[in-house]
Amino acid sequence: MIVKRTLRKILSLLWRDLAVARSYRAMFVMQFFNILFGVASFYYLSRFIENSDLRRALPQGGTYFAFVLIGAAFFDYLGVALNAFDESLAEARQNGTLEYLLVTQTSLPVILVGSVVYPFVLLSLRTGVYFAWGIVVFGFPVGQVNWLGAAIVLASSVLAFIGLGVLSASYTLVFKRGNPVKWLFLGLAGLVSGVMYPVSVLPVSLQWTARLIPVTYSLEAMRQAMLDHAPMAILWPSIRALLLFAMVLLPASLAAFTWALRRTKITGTLVHF
Amino acid sequence: MANISSGALPRQTSSGINTQVTTEAVRVEQLEKFFPPALAGWRSLLHPLMPATVPALRGVSFTVASGEIVALVGANGAGKSTLLRILTTLLLPTRGRAWVGGAEVVQEPARVRQQLGYHGASDASFYARLSARENLRLFATLNNISLGQMDRRIADLVDLLNLGAVLDLQVRTFSTGTVHRLGLARALLHRPSVLILDEPTRSLDPLAAAEFRRFLRDNVIRRYGTTLLFASHTLAEVEQLAGHVAVLHEGKLLAYDTPERVQTAAGARTLEQSIEKLVRHAGAAL
Repeated sequence: MIVKRTLRKILSLLWRDLAVARSYRAMFVMQFFNILFGVASFYYLSRFIENSDLRRALPQGGTYFAFVLIGAAFFDYLGVALNAFDESLAEARQNGTLEYLLVTQTSLPVILVGSVVYPFVLLSLRTGVYFAWGIVVFGFPVGQVNWLGAAIVLASSVLAFIGLGVLSASYTLVFKRGNPVKWLFLGLAGLVSGVMYPVSVLPVSLQWTARLIPVTYSLEAMRQAMLDHAPMAILWPSIRALLLFAMVLLPASLAAFTWALRRTKITGTLVHF
Repeated sequence: MANISSGALPRQTSSGINTQVTTEAVRVEQLEKFFPPALAGWRSLLHPLMPATVPALRGVSFTVASGEIVALVGANGAGKSTLLRILTTLLLPTRGRAWVGGAEVVQEPARVRQQLGYHGASDASFYARLSARENLRLFATLNNISLGQMDRRIADLVDLLNLGAVLDLQVRTFSTGTVHRLGLARALLHRPSVLILDEPTRSLDPLAAAEFRRFLRDNVIRRYGTTLLFASHTLAEVEQLAGHVAVLHEGKLLAYDTPERVQTAAGARTLEQSIEKLVRHAGAAL
């Protein structure tokens, strides 16, 4: 009964966000065409720098276009995880709905989870369109994809990233804006996790740093699944690492969030922005 | 505490609240709230966990019987909103206890939220790009109202609050008065036993405010027997609606009684004069 009720609440929050997005129809549709420009830029960059040495340097072989397309598409999941919780809180504070949501018979964690479903659904839709443009217009190789493996890697990644997102939201709850840890983390992850180039080109110290960031494992496994048709045995070490991150980050972030929520109820800054 | 009539003093029992919950809608016992000093910019980052030293409520106690209408009055900063926020579980008290419908606000916040409906002064409290119906359905779901009951309850409230003509329009197109009626509908969706309103007519023009009060008294309180606790700066509103008035000044409860008895006790001819006298007397005593 409680599970069913909670799912209903999460679905109604998703419906709320879809209804708001639907009210801005032009923007909603245009973003999918905008993706084409990003994909095209990667394609022409790839054509410009492509050579046999580069192909050999890439972990899965193949084209730089395929390598960077996967890197950019799935790095966005980290960005959305880190931003979605923050933004849903900030939005509710700004439009004045936060205190009315909080006096309902729904806990803040359920409200937050319900509020980040839409950004992830939208991102997945965008990622689908991203690859569709890549496949249809620019010849992204689709024959080698281990779809099940890719789905499991994605699910494990999202679990690990959500922990980081909730930590980020805890910071925002207490300090309101300007989350320096988030920007530092996103910047560092962008530098070392292998979005635009393989991790192996980095100095050893940065390669070690990369191992401490979940998105590195996510991109590594996703490329293996999508470009190499890697079986589960190959993907498992990365999936295991992502699940370990999730096991540590999820409880830690929930504890931090509970503390932050209590703190704002003491200081009276819950609905301040 | 100066000038609380004995008839309205909270009853102190050794057996605790459970013996009285059937008749008390709200009970507040020695409630205190202190906030940390407000710091801005880099100071707030250097001192994120400042101790709470700024008083907002100081030993406030009173009870509200079921079906009663109680107004909280006092100047800005008197502690009205702080008290209401503690009762709505949006704030934690520093000391003391409070119950809504028999549920304790710190220990049983979920049960408290089942009992209360809340509406504040702000015009912006809805999803402006959603229709009134979409907003009400969302909040109904979050208040555990089943799909089977939801549309019937919305229809009843829409009828009650004259919202039929705007039900499927986006909230951003509504007048302030309509937004407040919609806010009242939202607060009543789950049929709360206690309604808490924080300056509900603050942003309404006099005509809209009068209409809102009439709705509240005739169509909500009388019809459902809901207990109403509201904060207001409009003394005409207080006299028109409230059976009891709680006068707060700098976090202290100066008086809690019927408006007439507050006037008599203060030796004043109007409620306004009574409050002035009470505040002056409290200021001299401090």
